[in-house]
Amino acid sequence: MSNQVKNYPGTSLSEQDIRQDKVLSVHDSLEAEFAWDTGQAIRRYLAGLKEGVITGTHCSHCRRTVVPPRTVCEWCFNPMHDYVQISDTGTVNTYSLCYVTWDVQRIKEPEIPAVIELDGASPLHGIMHKLGEIEPGDVSIGMRVQAVWKPAEQREGAITDILYFKPLEE
Amino acid sequence: MTSTKSIHDAPSVWQGDMPVTNRYTFGLAGERFFRAIKDDEKIFGSRCSTCDWVYVPAVEFCERCLKKTGEWLDVGTVGEIITFTEVHIGYGGEPLEKPEIIALVRFGDGGLIHRLETTDLEAVEIGQQARVVFKPASERQGSILDISHFEIV
Repeated sequence: MSNQVKNYPGTSLSEQDIRQDKVLSVHDSLEAEFAWDTGQAIRRYLAGLKEGVITGTHCSHCRRTVVPPRTVCEWCFNPMHDYVQISDTGTVNTYSLCYVTWDVQRIKEPEIPAVIELDGASPLHGIMHKLGEIEPGDVSIGMRVQAVWKPAEQREGAITDILYFKPLEE
Repeated sequence: MTSTKSIHDAPSVWQGDMPVTNRYTFGLAGERFFRAIKDDEKIFGSRCSTCDWVYVPAVEFCERCLKKTGEWLDVGTVGEIITFTEVHIGYGGEPLEKPEIIALVRFGDGGLIHRLETTDLEAVEIGQQARVVFKPASERQGSILDISHFEIV
């Protein structure tokens, strides 16, 4: 579409215009700090990750196990009290080859974010993480994967305590 | 199980920050307005002849009738204090050791908001004349901060 546009209206600026002081500008950075209350369920999830365990919750009414855990089942609105251990193995539900980092830097080797249905959670329930130890071209939907954890002493109770998921030899 | 016992090992509050930077260019009218401050120590307004309205800071288009403003006017450096307030919190949200007084000073049919030189609230009244005090030319970079403050005349 955009390559059909011959003339762009308006006045375009280049980096040079600004560097050479042809155009005035102000540069600013905001202090964008945040503090997010994890709540009961995510706090337990993070505590579990520190121990090398993935935690979910089970709804006995819907007979459904979800991950990450939550305190209320969004299907039936009943409280979910049963915290259960989920396997750190699973199946790739979908994935993407991503050539841009989270802070918008171009990269030559893509990161591979994927949704992984974890064993022990109900079908189609899982988490998003990255894939590793695999060539981008070899990734496929339905492939079996397993979490690669940080060494125990480096884990801090964060989703990054899992480094990535690698192909699982079965 | 492990994860339920060790709940206190995990933070109840997740803290973080995001890199948020921006660069703002002033546009056609803003460029000319701030160049005049930086290079000539002048405050410019622009007049809409249809609405008989003088915009300060100068703008390219009249926001009342949407016509292009034609005439640019030097509105001088002395204006009337329309309103003012005492500020106790800094830009970053930190308490200020010494509160500052911020005033809206009328130029043309608009005005500028900036610090007053004085920090004595008793010394300020609505209706007083205030003068723009520019920073030394060597320190001016082309922004509203090229104005150091207002001084009461």
